[in-house]
Amino acid sequence: MKGKTKITIDYARCGDGVGVDPRACAACLRACDPAVFLLHETIGAIEDNPYDPQKWRVTPLWIDLCTRCMKCVDVCPEKAVSVAW
Amino acid sequence: MCDLCMKHGAGGKWYLNAEHYSQAIAEKYNLRDFLMEQYKNFEQISVRKVHGFNAVGMGYKLKMPIIGRIVKYAAEKMLHSTRPPKNPFRAEGHIGQIVPLEDAVAILRTCAAEPIIEKNCMCRYMSRGVKEACCINFGVMSEIVDKLPRFIPEKDKFFLTRQQAIDRFTEHNRKGYIGSIWFGPFPYINNLCSCASPECAGIRPRVDYGITSIYKAEYIVDFDPDKCTGCGVCVARCQFKAIGCDHALKRITVDYEACFGCGVCRHACKQKALFLKPRDEFPGYEERY
Repeated sequence: MKGKTKITIDYARCGDGVGVDPRACAACLRACDPAVFLLHETIGAIEDNPYDPQKWRVTPLWIDLCTRCMKCVDVCPEKAVSVAW
Repeated sequence: MCDLCMKHGAGGKWYLNAEHYSQAIAEKYNLRDFLMEQYKNFEQISVRKVHGFNAVGMGYKLKMPIIGRIVKYAAEKMLHSTRPPKNPFRAEGHIGQIVPLEDAVAILRTCAAEPIIEKNCMCRYMSRGVKEACCINFGVMSEIVDKLPRFIPEKDKFFLTRQQAIDRFTEHNRKGYIGSIWFGPFPYINNLCSCASPECAGIRPRVDYGITSIYKAEYIVDFDPDKCTGCGVCVARCQFKAIGCDHALKRITVDYEACFGCGVCRHACKQKALFLKPRDEFPGYEERY
């Protein structure tokens, strides 16, 4: 595939305290065929309360495997995902 | 026999050496604290920086002319590390091998340390947001998972007897999940996973990026051309694209290089034409793990 793919997630709409909790939603993770996204605790959560990490977010991790199918963009209830190349 | 077997197998396969499952090793390296530290924020490991690099956009980094080679070298060095584990936020000494059903049953029957549990697969939760109980853990690892509620399955049984563990693993294997056994960290064996591509964080570096994060099994699949009817049911089972189907010859074709020896394809075959043969019996493939 030509060029680099850029996947951006607007954390003002998806993630800790705003919009939908990514753990309850996970729509982009399920829609993605090559499983590009990663669901993880934010690095900052460790200092707050290591045993009960409540702050989770989605990071597009294996971006180079993205097939640009745009399923994640369509499926996101908060319209937080955007794919560009 | 692979390098691991030569050094740590005590004359056999490394994962059938019961010493690696012992409480003594866990005590020696203080693995109870180390693993607790590692697993309470396990999902973060891929986004944490190691030597200034994290795994975001790994493929692009590996394609860079010189930096790519350094990243690959550093990643393999970390995964294959045999030094006492120090940093719980890195996958140090976390190397595994694919195991077919027979070997996994042997592990569960004779080697695995009590207590045996079945926890939610972290990889599937990380990359799919789905909780599915299919990872079997032993020994110290079981005690740690007991304290981390997100890994404890809600519907399925948590603590298993040996026979229950064997039954559960067989169930997953027949479903099409690949069995894999892991050092975590070296030299302590505590994970018997039922993996699927592309969710598995251990198989993905090997298949998609060529980083040796997991070794191929001690076996390669082969088939009996007299029995094979070329129905192609096994083709869909192979997660490594090792089996093809030749409709003109009415039989399948096997790519020995691509085969990881998981043996999952055998469960699909109605004619029982597929079987596993030790890697040593294939000239030229002996050392290609």
